[in-house]
Amino acid sequence: MKLARAIGLIGAAALLLTGCGTGSSGGTVVDKAPSGLPVQGETLKYDPNKLVNGGKPIELEWWLWDGQDKFQAFADSYQKLHPNVTIKTVNQPWEAYWTKLPLQLQSKKGPALFNIHNSFDETLDPYLAPYDIEAKDLEADYSGAAGHVVDDKVKYVDFGMMTGLIWYNKAMWAEAGLTEQDTPKTWDEFRDVAEKLTKRDGETIKQAGFNFNSAYNSLGFLQYQKGYNVTSADAKTPAVDNPGTLENMQYFLDLYNKDKVGSKDFGPKAVDSFGQGQSAMIYEWGHLRGTLAKNYPGIDYGTFQTPIPDAGQTPYAFDRYNGESTPGINNGASEDQQAVAQDFMKFFLTDKTDMKNLVLNYSLAPAYKPLEGDAEISANPVVKAMGSLDRYIWPGPMPATFETSITKAWQDVIYNGVAPETAIAGAQTAIAADLAKTDFTSAEPTYAHYAPNPR
Amino acid sequence: MTLSLRPRVSKAPPGGTPGISTRRRVRTYPGERALRNTVIIIVAGSLLLLTAYPIGLAFVGSFHYWNPLNGAFDFVGLENYTTLLSSPDFWGSMIRTGFFSAVVIFFRVALGLAIAVAIFSQLTRGKAFFRTIFYMPTVTPLVAVAYVWQMMYNPQTGAINTFLGLDLNWLYDPQLALPSIMAMTIWKDFGYAVILFLAGLHSVPEDALEAASVDGAGAWQRFWRITFPLLAPMTVFVVITSIISYLQAFVQVLVLTKGGPGTATQLISYLIYDKAFVKYDFGYASAAAFVLLIVTALLTLISFRLSVGRKNSLEG
Repeated sequence: MKLARAIGLIGAAALLLTGCGTGSSGGTVVDKAPSGLPVQGETLKYDPNKLVNGGKPIELEWWLWDGQDKFQAFADSYQKLHPNVTIKTVNQPWEAYWTKLPLQLQSKKGPALFNIHNSFDETLDPYLAPYDIEAKDLEADYSGAAGHVVDDKVKYVDFGMMTGLIWYNKAMWAEAGLTEQDTPKTWDEFRDVAEKLTKRDGETIKQAGFNFNSAYNSLGFLQYQKGYNVTSADAKTPAVDNPGTLENMQYFLDLYNKDKVGSKDFGPKAVDSFGQGQSAMIYEWGHLRGTLAKNYPGIDYGTFQTPIPDAGQTPYAFDRYNGESTPGINNGASEDQQAVAQDFMKFFLTDKTDMKNLVLNYSLAPAYKPLEGDAEISANPVVKAMGSLDRYIWPGPMPATFETSITKAWQDVIYNGVAPETAIAGAQTAIAADLAKTDFTSAEPTYAHYAPNPR
Repeated sequence: MTLSLRPRVSKAPPGGTPGISTRRRVRTYPGERALRNTVIIIVAGSLLLLTAYPIGLAFVGSFHYWNPLNGAFDFVGLENYTTLLSSPDFWGSMIRTGFFSAVVIFFRVALGLAIAVAIFSQLTRGKAFFRTIFYMPTVTPLVAVAYVWQMMYNPQTGAINTFLGLDLNWLYDPQLALPSIMAMTIWKDFGYAVILFLAGLHSVPEDALEAASVDGAGAWQRFWRITFPLLAPMTVFVVITSIISYLQAFVQVLVLTKGGPGTATQLISYLIYDKAFVKYDFGYASAAAFVLLIVTALLTLISFRLSVGRKNSLEG
């Protein structure tokens, strides 16, 4: 009896505590639908003149790993229209994000909205509710949306495209007597420029002309320039073990070992070394603009398109590009939350102002067509350097094993003395083993200039 | 209703002879039994729910291709274990983990003991200050420590190369990367051993040491012949808890090197993390975790047996 009473007391205490934490949600109640507000959008339109969730208070969580203020801006704009809705962005570091999110979604406890990286497409797909939007409307407004249509449904699209570029320190460039005319177009010219930008004290490098430390995952995809796809003609089998990859790797190794324009031991992270003013040039993707603005605001930099092997010849592709994805809707969220999330996504996809700021933050070529001719975006040095995406390949959502295995191969070659042939063959085997457990299919065949064996 | 806190004395068993009962009389307080039972139920329930159940599930899962994200849970028999045991990646990680643990434990014990003896010495003033200083890294979060050390290890801007006038790439040179992680771990953890050994030193009988002095034993002899053997239980405790802890070392690897360069610093826990939470192959990761569990249990048992053997030989 006493035992039962004690358990009862503990249970009651627990109930009380639970009640304190998740009691009445409070929040604003809206009785009357707004009216007279402008409808936004081109083909896809968003009409805010309505009650959302019947005017009752509701809260949604929105998980992301970066750019919190830029994404929260969408939520803030939406909340002004519908004050009964609270959308709270929750930032998680990248590793924690991909550890927690899939397991939360699997246990039906995840956030109503969450940001997507397409390398985790297969992981997230079972938990994504399709947008309650006609696919043809999205295709009309968003470049590349067609690539995301499955069974006439869309679970997310790209809001912008990003690729790799060469970033250079303008002060170092000028100090070396270089002008805009010296911008290298080929890798041979690039080597000469890197040499001019290098400073040494005897054998010791004081300023690296070019630093690619920790940027290996991206360099691995430059095989496109040599006319090699990343997957075989079946679009399923990895094809990273090819002469193009080995030639590229050897070129970069020579930059360090023969030309001595950089070193594996100088600036272990190229981005930080560039930001700290130790390295004159690095290769990095467009998102670096946001990182530099946040961590190294004092640095004055320029960008130019990644060089190619032969002057005057159009390569099979300059590089790959990747889309930055719009948020996904958790199909395990409550019906009310999903309904609000669907409404919010219509707003998100038509919110030109916040979309422009988001695209500028990441230096993206915008996928939202009304922003395509925007003067401010076009003047962005990163977007400008990127030029047309016609000769860039989007290989589709690439499973993370491509990047992790390629990085490991490069590290093994550079730091552990493994022969390039052995390391690349190892990466090929590792990727093949990981892909064997997935339904991966490359989107390379959708490239406008696709050839199964381009070389 | 009033609450009496006076102990209640249980009656002698029926049929027993008053005054000559062999049973000890049990004194209880009102509600004591209920409280005890409640606590036991909560602790046992928590253990079952939070420890036994996940371990059992992982054990079963280690015989399956298990990806919780797409619901795959297909029986594959011993395939995960055979793949694991024939994988150079796994054995490399195990060997690295063994080496890492052995070195860190050795230095943790040696430094901890040496500093504890120094602080305990009657010649040392400001004992509380030194205790605090040496214990401080132990209570600092490991993630924060690892980030600071990562900055210190930077070959161009880091404090270590700057102060020592060196030009070493601590975290990217395959020969230096693992020792660099070890150094950080030893610095972070040896303070814990200092505190434990200090507690042990207080229990060493003063008269034994004085008697040895009278017999002409020097400071070294007193330490090796009396103090150190009497600290054996504490040493064993430090070693066993360290074995359990370092075979699972993970955070420092994640922050400092992510297992690189290549796999030069990939310890077994990082391999398990990579398989489970990057590639979502929970079956393989569970098999690796079970092998680690068996190794940990065996090493702990061996340490324990050795200490018992040593104790018996000392007493015999």
